[in-house]
Amino acid sequence: MSLITMQHVVKTYVMGDERLEVLKDVNLTVNPGEFVAIMGPSGSGKSTMMNIMGLLDTFNSGLYTLRDTDVTHLTDNERAHVRNREIGFVFQSFNLMPRMSLLENVALPMVYAGVGRRERQERAAAALTQVGLGDRLDHQPNEISGGQMQRVAIARAIVNRPAVIMADEPTGNLDSKTSVEIVRIFQQLNAAGTTVVMVTHEPDIAQYAKRIISFRDGVIQTDETLKQPQKAGADQ
Amino acid sequence: MTVIESFKMAIDAITANKMRSFLTMLGIIIGIAAVIAILAIGNGATTRITGTFNDLGATTISLSVSNKAGNDAQLTAADLQAIKQADTRVTAISPNYTLAGFAATNNQDEQAIVFGGTPDLQYTNTVMDSTITAGRYFTQAEYDDAAPVAVISVDGAAQLFPNQHSAVGQMITLRSRTTSISVRIIGETQSTVSKYQGAVRRSSFPVYVAIPYATMKLLSINAGGITDVTMKVRSRNDITSVSQSTVRLLETRHDVVGQHLYTARNYLAALDQVDSVLGLFVNFIAAVAAIALIVGGIGVMNIMLVSVTERTREIGTRKALGATTRDILIQFLLEAVILSLIGGLIGLTLGIVLAEVVAGWLGITAHITWQAVILVLLFASAVGVFFGLYPARKAAKLNPIEALRYE
Repeated sequence: MSLITMQHVVKTYVMGDERLEVLKDVNLTVNPGEFVAIMGPSGSGKSTMMNIMGLLDTFNSGLYTLRDTDVTHLTDNERAHVRNREIGFVFQSFNLMPRMSLLENVALPMVYAGVGRRERQERAAAALTQVGLGDRLDHQPNEISGGQMQRVAIARAIVNRPAVIMADEPTGNLDSKTSVEIVRIFQQLNAAGTTVVMVTHEPDIAQYAKRIISFRDGVIQTDETLKQPQKAGADQ
Repeated sequence: MTVIESFKMAIDAITANKMRSFLTMLGIIIGIAAVIAILAIGNGATTRITGTFNDLGATTISLSVSNKAGNDAQLTAADLQAIKQADTRVTAISPNYTLAGFAATNNQDEQAIVFGGTPDLQYTNTVMDSTITAGRYFTQAEYDDAAPVAVISVDGAAQLFPNQHSAVGQMITLRSRTTSISVRIIGETQSTVSKYQGAVRRSSFPVYVAIPYATMKLLSINAGGITDVTMKVRSRNDITSVSQSTVRLLETRHDVVGQHLYTARNYLAALDQVDSVLGLFVNFIAAVAAIALIVGGIGVMNIMLVSVTERTREIGTRKALGATTRDILIQFLLEAVILSLIGGLIGLTLGIVLAEVVAGWLGITAHITWQAVILVLLFASAVGVFFGLYPARKAAKLNPIEALRYE
């Protein structure tokens, strides 16, 4: 059974008199355990696709099924709950809460999930350990590097054990060496069974995914499965 | 999300910007401090002024006889007894004859106000207090016998006998324009005037002396028939009905019904006027303070709007992580309420201190009731809710995508 099924998804923006068709009848299926890179130039619709998949945005027509549940027509509150439990976001600019410790940052999704304080701390500490920051639980975001901040964001994304991680240009603000480190974490998580969808405009970063989907002018232009994805080894 | 979590987040946000939070609270602090101080001082002043009025005769009725009344209609001692016996609400009744004269010893000669009445004069006289500080008041027998005895105000005694601990047992001479009599002092009382103006030099007041009415007749040729009577009733509520029934009783006794020869006056109208002037004053200042609070509330709203704009990305991130519209609304609303409430608590403390200081200057007691404290804190919270709602709704309604994109 597929994890994400999108059928005939159409998204139109109306700007004054102009109708801008950002997604034109997109069909896409993502299976559990996949690592998908979504590519395309700006304006191609890849970010809109990401926002719709992440239930941050709505669409005009079509069907969206996530983990066997039709999520096409949900209220704002229901979508907030699905985002909380099924989707882990990683952003280009990390988006950590500046006045919270790393532990509190990672625990934040569980606050909205209604998890008790003690369990939150244990699970947040475990998630930070998983991304290699188990010794910096009480640090503030301004005390660590960009690469480390993105690791914290990944820990925050996985802490509620979501169905899929949605990463929007996760290496956009990082140097190439750090970018590879981040992608390696995605590969490790993926190897352990986590589904990852990553939007990127960098072809060499996309090479680390198992499947690359290219958008152009609101439609999927290519959809190829890599026989041998690049491995982000420890030596790189 | 639990309330405790929202509460913690709000406190974190407030403490992150301590100076700004304090400046935001300032309007609330000033408003609440003003409200509390004014309520406390206003209450104190009201208590003080109505207290003064009670001393001066809030339960007092003055009876007078028209000068058109013939000999048959003049008041007698029997009339006074009948009035007191007819109504248990009448606690005291006495003629109220006042004479300006002199009181002298061998060494001192002072201006004196001499009152003549029944033993009830102790309670009906509004200048000399009913509190006996030494000796005793004159009795019914001394009244009947026109005994040469007198009760003197305590500071009058000090003027006439500056070197003696007590004037009781001493002889003094009372002098009117026409004659003089010698009386023995048998008691001392507090005097209302000196009690309230203790700061003023004592010798600037006359000596107050109370003597039996019959004795007064020996001193003054005018003190023949009784023309002025003062009576006391149990409470303010009795005044109107006792006034009416007393006038009716006198008209019946003297067979002059409907001739309007007797008048009963009281101070109720004056008291009501003082109450309403005081109430007006307190309301006016309270309105000014309320305006200060509203200005403070606008300050809270302003800073919350700035805060929402500053934290647009944070709001977007929280929404992406699963915060519902309600979570965001509560977070920002709680922040505004806590901001206002902390301001309210600081203002409360400041207001109490202010009230005590000002009350000290005015020589009154500040009255801070727990109702006022609760009212003021509720009001501060209400200001927080009212002025926090708009910014909080604005935050809660933010589109997550636009919020995440906000630079």
